[in-house]
Order: sequence, then structure tokens, then C-alpha cells
Amino acid sequence: MADERDPKVTQRYRELGTDEPPRHVDEAILAASRRAVHVHPAPLVPPTGRRRWYFPVAAAAIIMLSVAVTWHMQVEGPDPNGYIASAPAPVEQRAAQPMEESKQKLERQAPFAASPSPAPQAAPQAAPPAAASRMEERARESAPVAGARAPEAARADRALGKVGEQATEPPEKWLERIAALRKEGKHEEADKALEEFRKRYPDYKVPESALRLPR
Amino acid sequence: MIAYRDGNAGAFETLYARHRARLFRFVLRSVKERGMAEELFQDVWMRVIEARDRYAPKARFTTWLYSIAHNRLIDHWRRKGLSVVDLENVDVEGNSPNPERQAEARQSVQRFAKALEALPPVQREAFLLHEEAGMSVAEIAQATGAGEEAAKSRLRYAIAKLKAAVDDG
Repeated sequence: MADERDPKVTQRYRELGTDEPPRHVDEAILAASRRAVHVHPAPLVPPTGRRRWYFPVAAAAIIMLSVAVTWHMQVEGPDPNGYIASAPAPVEQRAAQPMEESKQKLERQAPFAASPSPAPQAAPQAAPPAAASRMEERARESAPVAGARAPEAARADRALGKVGEQATEPPEKWLERIAALRKEGKHEEADKALEEFRKRYPDYKVPESALRLPR
Repeated sequence: MIAYRDGNAGAFETLYARHRARLFRFVLRSVKERGMAEELFQDVWMRVIEARDRYAPKARFTTWLYSIAHNRLIDHWRRKGLSVVDLENVDVEGNSPNPERQAEARQSVQRFAKALEALPPVQREAFLLHEEAGMSVAEIAQATGAGEEAAKSRLRYAIAKLKAAVDDG
């Protein structure tokens, strides 16, 4: 291919100057490269020498923590009465208690929450007030987790490649999604997804259907 | 790059020193503003750093590097609209003490700069990859995602137009 080169053209091109990046840009890039190398995962081979004690200490700490958490769960475990009381009341009984509807809604969101409504046969006594309030608290905390996210938000996450699948998703699929967004006119979402894609596959040739080329 | 991928920070410095000036000129002559060129140049290297774990030597490192730069420029053009390099204020360092000859040299370099500026972006890119990165037609095709025939004709047209500008001077 050297025969394509024209010496006069090359000579004139060289006369345009030998611009170089400024020093601060050099420094920023080199600093980033060093930072990236220093942030590496923990070694698989145990270290030797002075740091030999790290592993036994870490292992002991993990065991202690596991035992403590297990013990704590047993002590704080759900009150058997409370649990039985949370069993769903018969349908006919619920129908007979329209006033309790809002409380039942809370129960449905948090199946372990104590129900103040009596459930004859199953639970003659309600849970003790302290335990009940503690469980209600837990139920309130777990409610947002139990509640499903809006489907639009989930769809947007998928479109932007936020979900965990993006790590394993082949680039072709990812680009198909971006192209679909473009077809739907969602260029902003497509741009964000493309930005993520470029970070993961910087040298991948993106087809024009996934790009929004200038007119 | 493999050494850097495997944790050798010094290997990156060697790579960077080898490619920094040429890549910078490639970017600078592909976009309009110097500030933007610096930003894009830095961004290209950041992407190289981020992608180091996924680097697999399928081609020369140069081809990989310039294909990242090509993609970054495509994104830039897509956002900003196609722009061309501003070479109006090219300084010519004349060796001749004769002011008349210096003025002539300045004019001919500016004529060349305008010709380069006037090239269609794909032709200019092919020319810059050829001159700055020392790429062959096959490598230009690989870096830009074009076919070899297309890359070859882009480069030929670019050189022909620039040669005409040189001969006019």
C-alpha cells in the first residue's frame, strides 16, 4: 500500500505542523491508567509474609458474624402465635368484615405481619402487642420490596441496558434493542443505551440503524 | 496492551508515548475545535483503559486504537453534525530567511489545508489514517468498518485531490 503514498502530498501534510496533546491531558490519561491497574480484584492465591494473618482473621470474623446472625434470627424469629394469626382468614369471613379492608391490604403485602382480626380456630389469641408492632414495622419495611416496580420503569431499564442481563447479552441483541428504540423515535433512550454499549464494546462497528446519523 | 491488561502499568505508558502525538493529530484534524479534540482524544484513551480486560489481539493494537477513535468521532459527528477541521490559522515555520518565500510557503500550506478541509469526511479520515497511523488499505477498512474497495477508493480520491492542491501551488 506504500505505493498509494504521494511524497509531495506527504511532505505538504507534514508542513501542517506536529501538534501534540497538552501536558495536562497526558497527565490525566496516565493517572487514569495507573488507577485502573491498581484497582484489581483480590488475589486468588493467599498472600505470604507479613499479610499471612489476614485470612485466618477474616475467616474467624465471617464465622463469628454468621453465628451471631443465626442466633439473632432464632431469638427474634416470628412469634408462632403471630405467624398463625397471619394465615389468611376464610373468604366468607373477610367478606363479613369490610371495615378491616385497609388492614387486610397491608397483610396481603406482608404475609408475616400479624393480623389484628381474629381468626377463630386457627388463632384464639392475637400476637403480643410488642411483637405485633415489631412485625408490622417489618411488614412496612418489606412492602416496597414486595411491591413490583412500574412496568414502564422496568422497560426503560431494559432499554438502557441497566439490568444485569447486559453483562452477558451479546452485542448484536443489544444493538437490535437500540435500533428498535430508534424506530420508535426514542432517540434519547437510544443514545443512552448506545453510550453504555460504546463503553462496553468501544471498537465494535455499530450499524447505521442503531445510530442517528446527521442529515 | 496485553501486558497492561495483565496489570503492568508501565506498558500503558510505553503504548501511550508511541501513539499519543499521531492519534492527537488524527483527532485534531478531524474535528473543528482544539478543545473538543483534546476532550475526544482523552475520551478515546479512557475507553482503551476501560476496555483493557476485554482486549483480545485480533489485529494490530494500532487498528484497535483507531477503530475506537473512529467510533468516538462518529458519535461526536452524530451529536454535533458533521464538522471539518479549521486550518485557517496554520502556522508555517519557514526555514527561509526570505520573507517573500515565507509568504509563498505559507500560502501553499494554507491551500493544502483548505483542500484537506474540503475533503468529504470519509476521504479525509482515510487519508489521516494512512498518514498518521501508517495504515494500509486493509487496516483502514478494518478500522472504519468499510469494505476494502471502498477504503481504497476513498484514499485514492483523497490523495488525488490533495495532489492537485499541491500542484497548483
